[in-house]
Amino acid sequence: MRAEVVPDDIQALRRGDDSAFSALVRAHHRALLATATAIVGIDDAEEVVQNAWIKAHKALPGFEGRSALRTWLTRIVINEARMLLRKSRREVSLQLDEDQHPLADRFREGGHWSKPPVTWHDESPDGLLMQRELADCLSRLLLAMPAPQRAMLELRDAGGLEFDEICNELTITASNARVLLHRARTQLFKLVDHYQETGEC
Amino acid sequence: MLKCREVVHQADALLAGELSGRERFALRMHIIICRHCRRYVKQFRHLLRAIPRMHGQASESEVSRVMTAVKNADKSMGGQSNPSG
Repeated sequence: MRAEVVPDDIQALRRGDDSAFSALVRAHHRALLATATAIVGIDDAEEVVQNAWIKAHKALPGFEGRSALRTWLTRIVINEARMLLRKSRREVSLQLDEDQHPLADRFREGGHWSKPPVTWHDESPDGLLMQRELADCLSRLLLAMPAPQRAMLELRDAGGLEFDEICNELTITASNARVLLHRARTQLFKLVDHYQETGEC
Repeated sequence: MLKCREVVHQADALLAGELSGRERFALRMHIIICRHCRRYVKQFRHLLRAIPRMHGQASESEVSRVMTAVKNADKSMGGQSNPSG
């Protein structure tokens, strides 16, 4: 289950209910910050998300629920991020990097596992990535991840945008987008696998 | 016969429903006989479900900062165009 407000709250949000809006911010702010960071960098992310919340608050009465709230909010963040980049005459660059595949060292030359994944003890959404002990490892990994990979992970997997939309918004080819996302996901897989095996980063 | 490395490369497309019938069949056959890849695909699926929640909730000070900014903007701005939803 994703961190989504319950459908009833959408009515409250449309009415302009403050506590419903606070709950919305609580549930999505960190994820939106991460999305903005991947596009504009950490220094400008806060401003982008702040502006996005202001826009979202004004637009909520007209929210039709055609997409999940997270996805709708992510779109607003992308718009704000692009506006900021235009103002500062920067461009989004989501080019493919030449990094090695994150799991390359886990296979023998013939393509079979040399070190297969361990059995994970806890496979629930909260158990996998939200453990307190893992939080530091996770944020370090995301910070170290090449921005294009991170952007794909945040937009597609955390934000729920479709590939087509991401490719249009950020001018990237569909095949590059898929490779970037695959690299980002397998880095996460490697982190969780190692953590489940050793209890450490 | 598909290699384990190729299973890892195709797992994304499998879970997104983007493989052709032939590719899906080849992958399924591999998974039936290879417990490592079976485990990989299963746990990879769980991981994808966990990603939307990985950032956790905002702190109360973050929430109140946003609420203050929204209130201030409400006061200072009149009706402007809204993004469609």
